[in-house]
Amino acid sequence: MQTPDTSSYMILGYALTFIVMGIYVFSMYIRNRNLKRDLETFESMEKSDKK
Amino acid sequence: MKQPTPSFLKATLAIASKDLAAEFRSRELLSAMLVFSMLVILIFNFALELDVKVRQSVTAGVLWTTFAFAGTLGLNRSMAVEKDRGCMDGLLLAPVDRAAIFFGKAISNLTFMLVVEAIVIPLYALLYNETRIFQLEFLGVLLLGSIGYISVGTLLSTMTVQTRTRDVLLPILLFPVAVPVLLASVKASGGIITGAEFAEILTPLNLLIVYDVIFLAVSYMVFDAVVEE
Amino acid sequence: MQARPVFLKILDYLSIIVLGVSTYLALVFAPTEAVMGDVQRVFYFHIGTAWVGLMGFVIAAVSGIIYLVTKDMKWDRFEVAAVEVSTVFFFITIALGSIWARPAWNTWWTWDPRLTTAAVTELIYIAYFMLRAGLEDPEKRARFGAVYTLLGGISAPITFMVIRLFRTIHPVVIGSQSAEAQGGFSMTSDMKVAFFFALFAFTIIFIDMIWHRIRLGNLQDNVEQLKLKVTM
Repeated sequence: MQTPDTSSYMILGYALTFIVMGIYVFSMYIRNRNLKRDLETFESMEKSDKK
Repeated sequence: MKQPTPSFLKATLAIASKDLAAEFRSRELLSAMLVFSMLVILIFNFALELDVKVRQSVTAGVLWTTFAFAGTLGLNRSMAVEKDRGCMDGLLLAPVDRAAIFFGKAISNLTFMLVVEAIVIPLYALLYNETRIFQLEFLGVLLLGSIGYISVGTLLSTMTVQTRTRDVLLPILLFPVAVPVLLASVKASGGIITGAEFAEILTPLNLLIVYDVIFLAVSYMVFDAVVEE
Repeated sequence: MQARPVFLKILDYLSIIVLGVSTYLALVFAPTEAVMGDVQRVFYFHIGTAWVGLMGFVIAAVSGIIYLVTKDMKWDRFEVAAVEVSTVFFFITIALGSIWARPAWNTWWTWDPRLTTAAVTELIYIAYFMLRAGLEDPEKRARFGAVYTLLGGISAPITFMVIRLFRTIHPVVIGSQSAEAQGGFSMTSDMKVAFFFALFAFTIIFIDMIWHRIRLGNLQDNVEQLKLKVTM
């Protein structure tokens, strides 16, 4: 029996895995950046309050 | 001075009977559930073209889908009323075991669901000339399924009424968790209607009982965590 | 927010390395399966992600219980991290399974017990995030979240048992499915290397991602507290 050529599905599968994981890591990076920005804003607000 | 604490059973029944008394005076919840159930069956009638052959295989599914939808309607309303009128706070202040509140609410919710079932089933039998649903086993499965569904539903609706998105959240939370109880009920009651061997019904029946016991116990144990203020 | 601990940095690099090695083992090193062809290679990542996904849901249910007992917010952050990372991985599992099923079973989807349970489980955890999104009080969010992960963790295995009653799987599916699932029989030793390394690799990546997600949760907590302090 001849082995069928299913490599396109394999490529699809691996591409999808990396894309989804990439999106997730990127979303964590974005959330992290936004939170850091918020933190800085609030910290500066806190400082100006004290003055 | 020590306040006398009512016994657990008394407190549970008091809460349940308060709900039932209120409902049988206004009947707004039951009438909504009933009309809704009839509409769902009407839609199924056309969507599935419920002729004799189709009915054979889908009666259990149609009935359970109807009860599940009507059930969420009732659960949502019953808890929302409690929350909006501030009754929940009153209940929480009362010197009773929190679990009594859970069982009281569960009993009244279960009663509503059973009343709806008691009316919809004969109507369905009448409309479709389906007398096989009047079997003791079928009604037993109905009761077991309703207990499981309502115990999780009571717990989850207590949670969802406290959220911002409460109108839409209950079915979303409840359905995936209640999948086993719905499927086991459909399987068992479908088997009874088509006159399957008892051994075939036994497995879903056992799973149904297992589900009921586990989820009643878990809901009872964690209920405290969802009403704490 | 303190800088990344050294150990986490090491774990980051390690994750990238093992992901690369695992990909290499799966795509190049392992021999091509004779009956299914190249698509069989998605199996390594399929099992890897499924393993960490399911492990994460169990971990989440357990940390939910611990939270309900101790009321320590750090367990809530652990629970959210586990659920979120697992939901992502489990999504990959389902998608890969579907891609594999297309040439192997000639359909993208079939309602067999595993697939159906996987779909229901994924839906439970998506509902979990909708529940959390509807709550503002962090303490209440933690309590309700813990309760729901517990319910989900109990109901998923029962779902699997119930659905098994319904669908006697198509014979062809059973054959390839069980051979695939139980592995051992049809796998050559090179395939086993790729298989076990994928499990190992995804465990490392999973731990790394959870760690990052917990740190994100901590940061979120700090911001929320500071916000309260400033706006009060």
